[in-house]
Amino acid sequence: MLLQRTARILPLLAPVHLLILSVIVLPSLYVVWLSLNTSSFGQAPNFVGLRNYWRVLSDPAFHSALWNTVVLVVVAVHLELAVGLGMALLFASGLPFRRFLLVAVLAPYAVSEVTAVVMWRFLFDPDAGPITLALHALGLPSLDWSFEPSHAMILIGLLTIWLHLPFTFVIVYAARLAIPAELYEASRIDGATRWQAFRRVTLPLLGPAMLIALLFRYIFAFRLFSEAWLLTKGGPARSTEVVAIYLYQEAFSFNAFGPAAATAWIMVLASLLLAGAYVLLLRRGGVAHAH
Amino acid sequence: MRTERLLIGAGKAVAVLAILFWSLFPILFIAMSSLKPGQDIFAVPPKWLFTPTFKHYAELWRSWGVFFEGLLNSLLITVGATLLAIVASACAGYVYSRNSGRWLGASLLGLIIVRLIPPIVVTLPLFPIVNWLGLSDTHLVLILLYATFFVSLGTVLMRTFMDQIPRELDEAASMDGASRMTILRKVIAPLAMPGVLAVAVFVIVFSWNEFLFAFIFTATRAKTAPLVISEMIGSIDGVDWGILFAAATVQLVPVLIFVVFMNRYLVAGLTAGSTKG
Repeated sequence: MLLQRTARILPLLAPVHLLILSVIVLPSLYVVWLSLNTSSFGQAPNFVGLRNYWRVLSDPAFHSALWNTVVLVVVAVHLELAVGLGMALLFASGLPFRRFLLVAVLAPYAVSEVTAVVMWRFLFDPDAGPITLALHALGLPSLDWSFEPSHAMILIGLLTIWLHLPFTFVIVYAARLAIPAELYEASRIDGATRWQAFRRVTLPLLGPAMLIALLFRYIFAFRLFSEAWLLTKGGPARSTEVVAIYLYQEAFSFNAFGPAAATAWIMVLASLLLAGAYVLLLRRGGVAHAH
Repeated sequence: MRTERLLIGAGKAVAVLAILFWSLFPILFIAMSSLKPGQDIFAVPPKWLFTPTFKHYAELWRSWGVFFEGLLNSLLITVGATLLAIVASACAGYVYSRNSGRWLGASLLGLIIVRLIPPIVVTLPLFPIVNWLGLSDTHLVLILLYATFFVSLGTVLMRTFMDQIPRELDEAASMDGASRMTILRKVIAPLAMPGVLAVAVFVIVFSWNEFLFAFIFTATRAKTAPLVISEMIGSIDGVDWGILFAAATVQLVPVLIFVVFMNRYLVAGLTAGSTKG
């Protein structure tokens, strides 16, 4: 009976699992082996234990890349969540042309990282960028992103928020729409102010959805590559590298597959840690009311 | 009371304008600039009134034939990856929706976790393997990569949408003697269309726009449009912004129109895909 059922469902499951096994799972495990060896193209691998990890973890360039990534993740993702939450509340408070506005907010989702870089590079062009000019006209400082590493990181942050705000907004907005209106009526009858209703009704009920959005965005911001690569290539002098660029440089510019593989596993472990939190949250059913 | 309401209304209007500006200005500005005569692109202050010209598009067509080859490659790869991802996810999603068990539960959890592994990780081992298999710089390698990175989300989504289809329909069809495959094709698939479309939106947008894999695994024959645009950025001294804006606009407009029309499925997919496991 069990065997029969297995025989029936296996062919249907096979394509997905074969793809994932051969493209993601086995290669990821192979990366573990790579990370314990020194090797580059055409050379016989040589077992070195954890030396690659040691080398990466003591490399100042890795420290700087990790620092950049962590700051980017922490600042950009939380800023994005705050803005997304504000927008969700604004939308839920009743707006004319809501469908049109929703579509407008979703628009950046369609934009590729490459095209977004073209846009934002020009908006902040030091000579003719409209944002630069507007900032100057208002007497405000502009971003010297091509010289000043911290300014480049700000631009990368803005770019990544712009690209991913639609995601965060939709998750929070959907959760907000799922809160029954009766709860607000009840709180009003009990004499609660708007602020109290927000603190006692909205925030607790949006909590799980906001946590989900945060975890997803941590995971996706931690692997950020294209925006930074296309804007600065990690330069000047490796000052704007993020972890994914560090990995790419080690592997494809310096041909150091061992350290690159060690970096890759550090990335996987960080992602899995966050993924574990996510799965725990799903399991607890904490988001049952979020749709 | 009335002034308070007025103030709130004004505050909302400002907020809405700010949101519109943030979301649409970058897009509209490069689309507009792609139609400006060369010298007007760099005019200080920016010119809002000008005689639109398709000069940059004509130039793009003349001197960047490789960009249009890139568009064709992007199209082929997007279609291939979408078909593969939808068929594979629909099959697996059907199984997960209609069956349960410890192994199935565990493997579904595995799918969810695998989705969170950073794509750049697998480029390390795959790069030599793809070369060795002679698949480097082919459409096939990108089709496989793009589809694979979406089949786990696709499976979860398909399961969620198929859960809403009553099992009695399967049973009725099976009593009429229909096979599993027939049931899936003739009964479930048409009813699961919203799920199929949600998966399609994700895969199409991702495959059309993806940069990292295209950058690492293609060079000339299978080079996608985003990669060609990135090369245009790289040679900014040689290329003028007008052509770059034209290329960016051509790359963006089809997928933007698609997202606008599919916005319902995108929203449904985003919420179901992250809050259900």
